[in-house]
Amino acid sequence: MFPTTRFPRRALLAFATLALTAWSAQAQAPIQAVASFSILGDLVRQVGGDRVQVHVLVGPGSDAHVFQPTPAQARLVGQAQVVFSNGLGFEGWMSRLLKTAGYKGQQVVVSQGIEPMKEAGHEEKKGHAHGAHDHGETDPHAWQSVGNAKVFVKNIAQGLCRADAAACDVYDRNARAYVAKLDALDREIRAAWAPIPVAQRKVITSHDAFGYYARDFSVKFLAPQGVSTESEASAKGVARLVRQIKQEQIKALFVERIADPRLIDQIGRETGVKPSGELFSDSLSAADGAAPTYIDMMRFNTRALTTAVRGE
Amino acid sequence: MTPLDAADATTQFLWAHLWLGPFVEFGFMRSALLGCVALAVSAAPVGVFLMLRRMSLTGDAMAHAILPGAAIGYLVAGLSLGAMTFGGIVAGLAVAVGSGLVARNTVLREDTSLAAFYLLSLALGVLIVSVRGNSVDLLHVLFGTVLALDSAALTLLGSIALITLVSLRMLHRPLVLDCLDPGFLRGHSRWSPVAHYGFLALLVINLVAGFHALGTLMSVGMMVLPAATARFWVRHLSALLGLAVLFALLACVVGLLVSYHADWPTGPVIVLSLGSAYLFSLVFGPHGLLRHQRPQSLHLQA
Amino acid sequence: MQAHPAAASSPPAIALRNLTLGYEQHPAVHHLSITIDPGSLVAVVGPNGAGKSTLVKAMAGRLRPIQGRVEGLEHHRVAWLPQHSGIDRSFPMSVQELVMLGLWHEVGALGRFTPAHHASCHRALDAVGLLGFERRSIDTLSGGQMQRALFARLILQDAPVVLLDEPFAAVDQRTTDDLLALLHRWHVQGKTVVAVLHDLSQVRAHFPQTLLLAREPVAWGATGEVLTPAHWQRALRMQEPFDDDATLCAPASTHAHRHGVSA
Repeated sequence: MFPTTRFPRRALLAFATLALTAWSAQAQAPIQAVASFSILGDLVRQVGGDRVQVHVLVGPGSDAHVFQPTPAQARLVGQAQVVFSNGLGFEGWMSRLLKTAGYKGQQVVVSQGIEPMKEAGHEEKKGHAHGAHDHGETDPHAWQSVGNAKVFVKNIAQGLCRADAAACDVYDRNARAYVAKLDALDREIRAAWAPIPVAQRKVITSHDAFGYYARDFSVKFLAPQGVSTESEASAKGVARLVRQIKQEQIKALFVERIADPRLIDQIGRETGVKPSGELFSDSLSAADGAAPTYIDMMRFNTRALTTAVRGE
Repeated sequence: MTPLDAADATTQFLWAHLWLGPFVEFGFMRSALLGCVALAVSAAPVGVFLMLRRMSLTGDAMAHAILPGAAIGYLVAGLSLGAMTFGGIVAGLAVAVGSGLVARNTVLREDTSLAAFYLLSLALGVLIVSVRGNSVDLLHVLFGTVLALDSAALTLLGSIALITLVSLRMLHRPLVLDCLDPGFLRGHSRWSPVAHYGFLALLVINLVAGFHALGTLMSVGMMVLPAATARFWVRHLSALLGLAVLFALLACVVGLLVSYHADWPTGPVIVLSLGSAYLFSLVFGPHGLLRHQRPQSLHLQA
Repeated sequence: MQAHPAAASSPPAIALRNLTLGYEQHPAVHHLSITIDPGSLVAVVGPNGAGKSTLVKAMAGRLRPIQGRVEGLEHHRVAWLPQHSGIDRSFPMSVQELVMLGLWHEVGALGRFTPAHHASCHRALDAVGLLGFERRSIDTLSGGQMQRALFARLILQDAPVVLLDEPFAAVDQRTTDDLLALLHRWHVQGKTVVAVLHDLSQVRAHFPQTLLLAREPVAWGATGEVLTPAHWQRALRMQEPFDDDATLCAPASTHAHRHGVSA
């Protein structure tokens, strides 16, 4: 027989466990995670690093409001270990998708713990189409506040921890590093706005997605009065918008999906305000575009907004 | 007293703030008015001849024929004035000439050959836009925006008005004769095809001008409705031409003002103003319905 | 049609040489060869489908012959009044404007009407008995009045050759008498007038020369010699519908002796 003292047995057990853990850690495939849209996907990647493979459902440039999941995507969801969504009514299709895919795993709603805002100025938008963008009472675009993004990151780290306990400290480390970057971003944005008096921080945009940004950085986002995508322009509507711009002395006009670009040009000629192009509200750009990550997106928007408001 | 105060005081007088105010205050209203005036002066006379040649429906068919040309222009160069105008004119002329040739050289008559061509053209246009564009853009091609006329568009409308008026002045007699007694014209001069195709060319360029301002569907309205309305009031050709232009101008002004005060889309309101004038004249005009129902009780001795 | 410089007052001799006219190879006028002297007043008569309208249309230059040709009219203005005028009666136009269109050869598409033109129009309306109708719109005219207006237009056209196709078809007696008088005035002025007619008593009373046509020429010459019962019998034997089984017509030389016209 073998000499079986306590020490060698425990050592053998410890060694075996270590070896097993090491072996499983090395050979383990990355965690399969699904993020509902591109911005969330980026955040999850920042926290998860190499250990997590993130699949994004609503890709860059697509519209989460009219999203139709494909069978391939349903399969992905079925095989995932954790699904991240924004919540606050942003993904109206999520519960149906999860049921179809038969998903029984972990669901993380990243907006848990933030302070939600009401949907921006319901009463003001008389001529504005509610249509597809009606989320009920709450404004879901919480990521537009960097503070909220930090909460998102915390929730993401927790979710990944629960799905993959072994790498919890990796996720924590990544999360902390990223939060530091977000803090820097927040300071950067405030610094960008600092030279501009609050009274001048007025922007017209057709997409009411910037409520949280407005709150954080004291910027007033106004809806274009009287001109919308769905219906034909009326002279009164155009007149209202022109008056609004002139009276409030608005210099920034971001109206990407609105009515007729010719109409916007005309308004620009009448008021002297040139339309300023696009803002990224609901999604990132493509990988080679101007806003491939969340931080890039916030920087881009801030730069576009401050430049336009300064009247350059 | 600043100029602004003076303007304010003027506009209070005679409720001028209602009918003059919008034009004083807003540049886009002035542009819209100018564009409409050019269009009215140009399209209404063409519409009178259209009516007399019994080609009113041809006008509508041609408006649909222009669509693929404008659609291709749009796909090539976006909402570019030049591209869409050029495309529309080419498509319109192609259909006009093509259907004319078919009518003159085969067993088919003008109405069938035109219908065949314009349906082909329309389907092609819708296909092109659906495959390469999106439905919102198609809607804008169809509806235009009189509120968005910039100086390039106004120049285009003005030029087309000028060309139309000069051409109608020159073609007046051959055109009249071509309607009245085409055999006589053919026997006397070579003006017959010039009159016919020249008129079709005028029709096309006016439709193209119209659709920048009012869209394809409504630019025909600016042609057909004033002419029909005038017919209930006067009999003589020059009077018809003048009155049609007058009705068109009034409808534009009224339409713009109503769209301004009632917050209704401008293009349809202008055409509805034209339509209201038509309905009123239909019932109450000297040659309208009521006049034929109640014979005049007074008559002359001889 | 450009006016030959010398043509205005002196009409040409019109020679129809072996003229065959038709539609889709079927002849409506078959091998007609006659000469019409300048200044003649000619009636063209015959049974239905005899080719009379077709002949006049060809003389007006609106129909290309299948074979043969019409000589003499190339450089002269011809005024043609077709049977169905194709005029849009609902067009908003006054009588004066309609009649003044006869002056196209002087003003063209762009020219102005001078006071002299207005005076000529006045005289033309007087000649047809339509003085006072200047401002009337054409859709208020009766059949007879319309025909008078068209004759007034013919007057203004001032062409040396006048071709009329059934000018009195739907017109009352008084108008017919007045217009016949007008034809006589033209004859006196030296114009060549050719008229297709149905009323043989009219022809006998007013037209010195007659062509009896029954697709092929039956008789041509002085009215009294042409309008005989024998000639009429021959004319009525002509077959009206086109014969789909007809053989190809051989060249003219073999037919000359059969289609010689009686002078």
